[in-house]
Amino acid sequence: MVFITNEEILETVRMIQDENLDVRAVTMGISLSDCASRDVARVCERIHDKILARAGRLVAVALELQDKYGVPIVSRRVSVTPIADVVAAGDSAAFVAVAHALDAAAAEVGIDFVGGFSALVQKGFTRHDAALIDAIPQAIAETRRVCSSVNVASTRAGINMDAVTRMAGVLLDVSRRTADHDSIGCAKIVTFCNVPEDNPFMAGALHGSGEPEVCINVAISGPGVIRNVVARHPELSFTDLADLIKRTTFKITRVGELIAREAAAMLDAQMGIIDLSLAPSPAIGDSVAEILEAMGLARTGAPGTTAALAMLNDAVKKGGIMATSSTGGLSGAFIPVSEDAGMARAAAEGVLSIEKLEAMTAVCSLGLDMIVVPGDTSRDALAGTIADVMAIGMINSKTTGARLIPAYGKVVGDWAELGGLFGAAPVMPLSKAGNEAFVARGGRIPAPLQSLTN
Amino acid sequence: MSDQPSRTSVIVTALGADKHGLLAAVATTVAAANANVDDVSQTVTGGMFTMIMFVSFTSGDTTLTGLQEALARTGVETGLQITVQHEDIFRYMHRV
Repeated sequence: MVFITNEEILETVRMIQDENLDVRAVTMGISLSDCASRDVARVCERIHDKILARAGRLVAVALELQDKYGVPIVSRRVSVTPIADVVAAGDSAAFVAVAHALDAAAAEVGIDFVGGFSALVQKGFTRHDAALIDAIPQAIAETRRVCSSVNVASTRAGINMDAVTRMAGVLLDVSRRTADHDSIGCAKIVTFCNVPEDNPFMAGALHGSGEPEVCINVAISGPGVIRNVVARHPELSFTDLADLIKRTTFKITRVGELIAREAAAMLDAQMGIIDLSLAPSPAIGDSVAEILEAMGLARTGAPGTTAALAMLNDAVKKGGIMATSSTGGLSGAFIPVSEDAGMARAAAEGVLSIEKLEAMTAVCSLGLDMIVVPGDTSRDALAGTIADVMAIGMINSKTTGARLIPAYGKVVGDWAELGGLFGAAPVMPLSKAGNEAFVARGGRIPAPLQSLTN
Repeated sequence: MSDQPSRTSVIVTALGADKHGLLAAVATTVAAANANVDDVSQTVTGGMFTMIMFVSFTSGDTTLTGLQEALARTGVETGLQITVQHEDIFRYMHRV
């Protein structure tokens, strides 16, 4: 019997029962590179069979581990090889068919999302990439579980501005097609710079080309735990507070490590990574914004917010890195407005602006995430906003993503109800100053000096 | 799995308003499930009952799910909030 103190036992129980400690996602990455074929029907059949063969027990295993350790595993997901690399077709109808095959397989194995309806186009489009991007609006509108991501920029390649503009157009199309549900389709599309190949979080998960056949990636959670620790210690200086956050994050990350190891062994998969991200959920007390507010800010967005977030993000990584040798994914605090009740409240009160969120993006992951903008936002305004987020990632050699939701028919002050873990958010104002001539230039913003590291 | 020890160790916690017979009720359920109490500690502070029990059992005689279900019923009967978790989660969280 391992010696564990009563205080430690009760701390663990309190974290789970009262502070929303959970494992946010167990995501199985599956390579689909052996499913490629010129015949689209054959590709769909192979994808279906492979997902069922490898992920068939994923949900059962996750539930078994949830019961064994008494810690909720909120979601079970699958990420796959970027579909543009699997389907050798130049017409978008073929990609829509594959999206339906992914959706059907996901439903059969009982997972909530499948990610990887994706293309990497930071330097240019192949015929398949272009066809996949054209297929995104129909694919997202007609499926429930499929998530899409497109990498349009990297530190090594620069920013493909043609791809940025194309993605802005995709968002407006999806906004229209899913207008009946507050344009929720846009919540399932991420535009990336420096996309990670092992990210367990949706909607941006994909299984990169350097990944093994099958692996298990785990996303931890726990903003509520950190929030309570911070709130209990108003007397601590930032030096001491950072230390306390590190110690707490260590414990949270160890839960992820335990689940990842055991799930991988039970599913005959390689253990992938633990994503050291503080992922909020719309539940009360599960908010990153509330951590910043517990540090002494009346609202997220108040002066000092970026500094508070930088400290939090760094302390989380330092605590997590001691807890696992398998870090990866996005690994940083998330600031998704609709998925974080505290962020949404600050945005509704006008304290938190898109411009402030952009500054916050520079010191954490994941970018402008789950931000609802007016339905009449122009394609070029969206493109310019996405380009700004990509530039932060490119220059700082980090991952940034844009998940913008132009809510069809809605104006500033309205709310978009996205449901479930997607939450709800107010429509935020976006600058209407013109940028058409900027966007019209097209081409590629060249790779920065930072790309020349060899 | 073949590399798992045949004996499973779990930690049971029970929290709630104090009254007579709470420890006995939990221990009786554990015994009825063919599990062994390896160690137990309990305190009552300000009318709040807190109990931590180290329990082990041989796989085959008893299942974790069976023990959890039995203790969940005891929790309803006594008004206690009872958790049953494999000891590894505590070991992982608090020890390198």
